[in-house]
Amino acid sequence: MAERNAPQRTLESWKQIAAYLDRSERTVRRWEASEGLPVHRRRHQKQDSVFAFRHELEAWRQRRIDGPAEDGLPPSTREVAGSGVSSYLLEHDAITRTMHCYIAAAREGNGELFRPACHPQATMAGYCQGVEYSGSMEHVFAWVTANGPAPNIEPRFARIEIVETIALVHLEVQKWTGRLLGAPARASDVFTLLRVNGEWKITHKVFHWQD
Amino acid sequence: MQSTQYPSEYDAIVRTMQHYIEGCRHGRSDQMRGAFHPQSSFFGYAGGNLVTGTDFLFHWIDDNGPAPGIEPRIVSVDILETIAVVRLEVAGFSGKLAGADVRMSDVFTLLKTDTGWTIIQKAFHWH
Repeated sequence: MAERNAPQRTLESWKQIAAYLDRSERTVRRWEASEGLPVHRRRHQKQDSVFAFRHELEAWRQRRIDGPAEDGLPPSTREVAGSGVSSYLLEHDAITRTMHCYIAAAREGNGELFRPACHPQATMAGYCQGVEYSGSMEHVFAWVTANGPAPNIEPRFARIEIVETIALVHLEVQKWTGRLLGAPARASDVFTLLRVNGEWKITHKVFHWQD
Repeated sequence: MQSTQYPSEYDAIVRTMQHYIEGCRHGRSDQMRGAFHPQSSFFGYAGGNLVTGTDFLFHWIDDNGPAPGIEPRIVSVDILETIAVVRLEVAGFSGKLAGADVRMSDVFTLLKTDTGWTIIQKAFHWH
């Protein structure tokens, strides 16, 4: 019964998350997209709802205050000392935070949310309706914005593999809708990431739209 | 993909990769260039410096020269319709630039085009 008196562990909306961090909803949404603010989603029939754990927000805030390490290592690597948390899990989490920029961009229909996750020289390739597209990631930023919101997308990480300074992410996305896509579509994507100055950046995206 | 298609697609992907491996072994970029898509990219750290672009790779292969003792191993081949991922480990890399007995881990992504499977990106890590 002690739990009844414990403070509420989760924040149940953007409004509550924003109030907890004493910022506007717009700011905390941007932090999720570009700075890895740990926000979770529940899937519903129509639109997803968001929630966040207080302890995760506190850990995120602490990392942000600490800033990047002078030795160039990611903050996650420094935290390993004495914490008992494996560096693999921390690298894995850092990779999914980078990937969530892509997912947030797709959901909101705003390609600019994806830009901070990418290396400046990032490229893409794949087929869309039988036509091959290959070149700068700018095409993806523009396409995501032109396609507009896709509030019901369901992303799943099929594979995350870390090889020292490089990583491979296979992402399956279904129920992707929008102005360009129309009916719900399913995409298979493989992203290659590189750890640059302690941060995981996407260097390449190759995609296949499932029929 | 139907399971009956996998072996033939796998073999075609491995043939493409073989051009890369033979280019490394002989120190001849001309043997591997045809395996790369015109828009392909290249990323990784060499001696602590980030290097990018397939031009860098091709020049490096030519300047490094033969690496007759390389031991390449394909760790995985994943095929998703028109795209594929190959994990390659190469041990025993040697040469004028590589030095002796270096190990390299590679992630290749490939795209299936009208002319077959081509490498669209190589990302690597030197050990």
